[in-house]
Amino acid sequence: MFDLETAIRKWRRSFRGSEAFDEGSLEELEAHLRDKIECLTGLGRPVQEAFAEAVEKIGRRELLRDDFFQAAARRDSGRPPWAKTRFGSGLIPNYLLTAFRKIRRQKLFSFINVAGLAVGLACCAVIILYVANELSYDRFHPAAGRIYRIATRGANSVGEYAWATTPGPLGPVIQREYPQAETVARIIPPRENADNVLAVNGDKRFFEKRVWFADGEAFRVFRIAFLEGTAEKALSDPHTLVLTESTARKYFGAEPALGKSLRLEIDYDTGTTELEEYRVTGIVRNAPLNTHFKYDILLSLPTLLRHLPDYDTNAGDHHFNYTYVRLSASADASAFESLLQRKAAEDAQAVAQRLGRAPGRQEFFLQPLTSLHMKSRLQFEMDPPGNWTYIAIYSLVALLILLIGCLNFVNLSAALSATRTREVGLRKVIGARRGQLVRQFLGESFLVTFLAFGLSLILMAALLLPFNRMAGTALTLAGLIRPIVFFPLLLLLVCVAIGSGAYPAFLLTAFRPAAVLQGTLDPSARGAWVQKILVVGQFAISIFLVICSLTVFRQLDFMRGQSLGFAMEQKLVLPVKSNLSHLRRDYEAIKRDFLGYPGISAATVSSCVPGEISESGYYLTTREANFKGAPRLLVNATDPDFVSAYGLKVIAGRFFEKGNRGDINEAFVINRTGVKLLGLGTPENAVGKRYQTHYSRRWKTIIGVVEDFHYRGMRELVRPLLFDIEPSLMDTITLSVKPGDMNSTLKHVRTVWGAHFPGVPFESSFLDESFDRLYRYETQMGRLLALTTALGLMIACLGLFGLAYFVIHMRRKEIGIRRVLGASSTDVVLLLSRKFAGLVILSAVLGGPLAGWAMSRWLRDFAYRVELGGAVFAAAAAGALLLAMVTVGFQGWKAARENPAESIRNE
Amino acid sequence: MSKSLVAASTRPIILSLLLKGENYGYGILQEVTELSGGEIDWSEALLYPVLHRMEKEGVIRSRWERSGEKRMRKYYGLTEEGRRELEEEKNGWLRLHGAFVRLWEMAERTEFVRPTES
Repeated sequence: MFDLETAIRKWRRSFRGSEAFDEGSLEELEAHLRDKIECLTGLGRPVQEAFAEAVEKIGRRELLRDDFFQAAARRDSGRPPWAKTRFGSGLIPNYLLTAFRKIRRQKLFSFINVAGLAVGLACCAVIILYVANELSYDRFHPAAGRIYRIATRGANSVGEYAWATTPGPLGPVIQREYPQAETVARIIPPRENADNVLAVNGDKRFFEKRVWFADGEAFRVFRIAFLEGTAEKALSDPHTLVLTESTARKYFGAEPALGKSLRLEIDYDTGTTELEEYRVTGIVRNAPLNTHFKYDILLSLPTLLRHLPDYDTNAGDHHFNYTYVRLSASADASAFESLLQRKAAEDAQAVAQRLGRAPGRQEFFLQPLTSLHMKSRLQFEMDPPGNWTYIAIYSLVALLILLIGCLNFVNLSAALSATRTREVGLRKVIGARRGQLVRQFLGESFLVTFLAFGLSLILMAALLLPFNRMAGTALTLAGLIRPIVFFPLLLLLVCVAIGSGAYPAFLLTAFRPAAVLQGTLDPSARGAWVQKILVVGQFAISIFLVICSLTVFRQLDFMRGQSLGFAMEQKLVLPVKSNLSHLRRDYEAIKRDFLGYPGISAATVSSCVPGEISESGYYLTTREANFKGAPRLLVNATDPDFVSAYGLKVIAGRFFEKGNRGDINEAFVINRTGVKLLGLGTPENAVGKRYQTHYSRRWKTIIGVVEDFHYRGMRELVRPLLFDIEPSLMDTITLSVKPGDMNSTLKHVRTVWGAHFPGVPFESSFLDESFDRLYRYETQMGRLLALTTALGLMIACLGLFGLAYFVIHMRRKEIGIRRVLGASSTDVVLLLSRKFAGLVILSAVLGGPLAGWAMSRWLRDFAYRVELGGAVFAAAAAGALLLAMVTVGFQGWKAARENPAESIRNE
Repeated sequence: MSKSLVAASTRPIILSLLLKGENYGYGILQEVTELSGGEIDWSEALLYPVLHRMEKEGVIRSRWERSGEKRMRKYYGLTEEGRRELEEEKNGWLRLHGAFVRLWEMAERTEFVRPTES
C-alpha cells in the first residue's frame, strides 16, 4: 500500500546523509517535490506515479551534491528559524535555560524578587490551609452529608429562643417511629457540672472538661476509631466509660487501661454528689481538632438512666441532649423536617397539659452536620463557632502581602527592561517572533514563581508554629497535599506567574527594535509612570497596615489602662468545682479560715468574678408570676463582703450586712445601669422598690445601688447587674492577697483548701492575668497586623532598594557630571531622594484615609474607644518616608561618593 | 539551446522574474517554462544552488513563509544590488541584441537568396 508521506520521508532522509544538504535546502527540495506531485496528480496521474516521476525529475543525490555544496552558505545562516538550537534542546525548553542564566547573572534582583514573592506565597499558603481546615469540620464522618443535628427553637413565657439541644427522649422516639432515620445518636453533657468533672485514679486527680454521656449509636454516626475494645459493647452497661488515648495515658500512664476503673464525680442533681467507679471498656483515638464534637471521656447512657430512671419519659423539662440523626440515602431531608415540626407541636401540647401552662411555640429543625462549625450560632453550642470575619481578615492580609511581593516583581522586571531592550531589539531584527519573546519572559516569571514557592515552603515551616498558637489550630505542611488546598494553591501560583510576567513581557515586546538598537528610544520613560504607580501601591498598602496596627495597639492600651471601677490587683481567684454543697453551706467559716493569715486581707464568695463572661441573669417583674417582656439583669450571687473586697462604690442605700437575716432572703442590690433599665430614675429613687425574681419566685426589695464597674471589660457598655445572696449559685472564692511573701501565702491557702476540699485539685489564678484574656482576640489581631506590617514594609523596602539601585545606576553618568560641575554629595543625594519622597507622600495620602475608614468601622464594635487622632497618620507617613529615604539615600550617597571620572568614562 | 547560453541567461532570467515580485523555487521554474513556451528547460533541482549562490552574493535575499499547515517555503526577492545588476545585464543583453539585429540585417541585405537544390 503506497503511502505518500512515508515515501517522501524516506526520500528526504536519503538526502540527509550528505553534508551538502542543510535543513534549508532539504526543506526547499521537499516543497519542490510536493508542488511537482500536486501538479502531476492534477493532470490526472496516480499518486505513486507522480511521486516517482517527480523524484526522477529532481534527480539523484549524487548529481546534486556538488552543486549544492558549492553554493551552500554557512551552516548557521542557512538554518531555518524553527530548527532547534544545539544545546540541550531535547531536555530543557530553551527559554527556561535562558531564564535560568539570566537569574544567575542578576543575583541581587533575582533574590529580591524571589524573597518578596516567597513571603507573600508563604502567607497565602498558610491562610489557604487555615480556611480549608475551617471548612473541613466534621467532613470525615462516614456519609457526613446525610448527618444532621436536631435543634429546637420557639417562644415561651420569657421570649424567643433557639437552642442547639433537644428534649431527652426525642432520640429514641425518632429511631422507633421514623424509618427515614438510619441511626440516631444522643450526646448528653453531665447536667450540673458540665465543665468540670473531677476524675480520680490513685493520686492522679484532675478536672475534666470534655465529658459526655453517649449512647452506643454514637459510634455508628460519628467516626470514632477504637484502639482497644469494641464499639458495639463499650457503652452498653451502666458505669462504663471510654477514654481517649491521651486521657488514658494521663490517668494510667503506660499501663493498659482497659478493664481498670476510674472514679468520677458527676452531679446528677439528686442532692448529693460523690465519686463513683466506672470501668474502662474502650480506648479510642483522640478527637481530631476539626470537629465540633470534642471529647475526652464518653460515659455509657445506662449510667445516666440508673441515676435518673425517668429521664427518657420526661419530655418537656430538660433540653440538654444533643441529638444527631443520619438519614437514609433515599430520605428527603425537608420532608423529614416537616414530620419533626409536627412532632414538636404535639410534644409542646403534652408538656403544656401536664404542667397546666399555656403551650409555647416549639419547632424542631435540622442542621447539616458539616455546616455546624461555620454557620450555627445557637445557644448551648458545644464548641465555639468559626468566624467568617477572621477568615476574611486573614485572607485579606495574606493577599495584601502577596500583592506587594508581586508588585515588586513587576516593578523590578520593568526596570530591568532598559538593560534588556538591546537584547530584545537584536532578537527582533534576527526575526524572533513576538510570541517567542513573550514566552521567554513568562518562562522567567514562572521560574521565579516556582523558586519562590520552594523558598516559601521553608518559610511556612517557620510560620506555622506561631500561627497555630495564635489561631488555636494544628495546621501542618502535610495538609498542603489535600486536593482542596493543592489546587487553589497551584492556581494561585500560575496566576502570580502570569500576572507578574505578563506586564514586562508585553511592554518589552512592543518596542520598535531598530530605534532601540540605535539608542534613540528611552525605554524607561515609557514605563516610568507605571513604575511609579507600583511603588505608590506598595507603600500605600504598607502605610495602611502601619496605621491599622498602631490603632489596634492604641485601643488595647486604652482598654487596659482605663479605670475599671474595681480593684483588680492582688486578687487570687479560686474556682470551686467540687464539693460545692460545702461551700454553699459554710462559706463564712471557710472565709474565716482563709483570713486567719496576715497575708490575706479580704475574702469573698461569689458566682462570678470580673472578667468572666457569665450570662446568668434574673428576670424581674412587679406583676405576680408574669414575666412576659420582663427586664433581665445579669446576676452575681455574692456574700456581704464583695463590695469591700473589690472596692466598689455604693451610691445609694447600702450593701448587704453580715448577720442580717433579712438581707439573705428579702434583699438585693443593683447597679446604676440597672436603675436605668428598670426605669426608676435616680439611684435614690430605686431604693425600696420590690420585685419578684423568676429564679426563686421570691419577692425582694432593692436595698442599695452600686456604681457601675466594667466587669465585662471595656469592649461592652456596662450591663445592668444585680447582686443577690443566693448560695445555690455561688462557686468562686476570691482572696485579696497582700504583696510580699507570695510563697508562704500560697502555702497557707493550699492548706486551708486541703482542709475544706480534700482531694479536690487546687486551681488558682490572678485576676489581672485572666482578665486580660477578655482582649484575646484583639491582642491576636494586633500581633497579626504587626507581623504583616513588618513583612509588607520589608518587601516594599526591598523593592524600593532594587529600584533605587537601578535608577541610580542608570544615572551614574549624570551624577558624575554634576559632581564635576561642583555639586556636593548631599546635593546629589537630595536630588535623587526628592523623586521618591514625592511618591511616598502620595502613598500616605492614599493609604491613610483608607486606613482611617477601616479602623473607624472596627472601632465601632467597642463601647469605649480611642479617637483616631491625626498623630497616628502623621507618624505612619513620617515613618514610611524616613524608611524610604534611608533606603534610597544610602545608595545615592554611595553613588555620589564615587569618583566622577570613573562614571563618566564608563558610559 | 546551448549549454553556455542557458548558463549565461540563468541569472538575468531569475533577476528579471523577481523584478515582478517575490517568488519561490518551483514558482520561478513554472514561470520560466511558461514564458519561454517550454523552450527553456532548466534541470529542476539545480535551480536551488544557483539561488543560494545569488543570495550569498547579495543580489537576492530570502525569507521563509509558512505555507499551509506544516510546510515552509523559501521566498526570494531582489535586493538593491540585484536591481543594479539586473539593470546592467539588461543593458548588456539589449546592446547585444541590438548588435545582433544590425548584424543579421546586414547579412540579409548582402547575402543573395540561395538557389534551391534541384
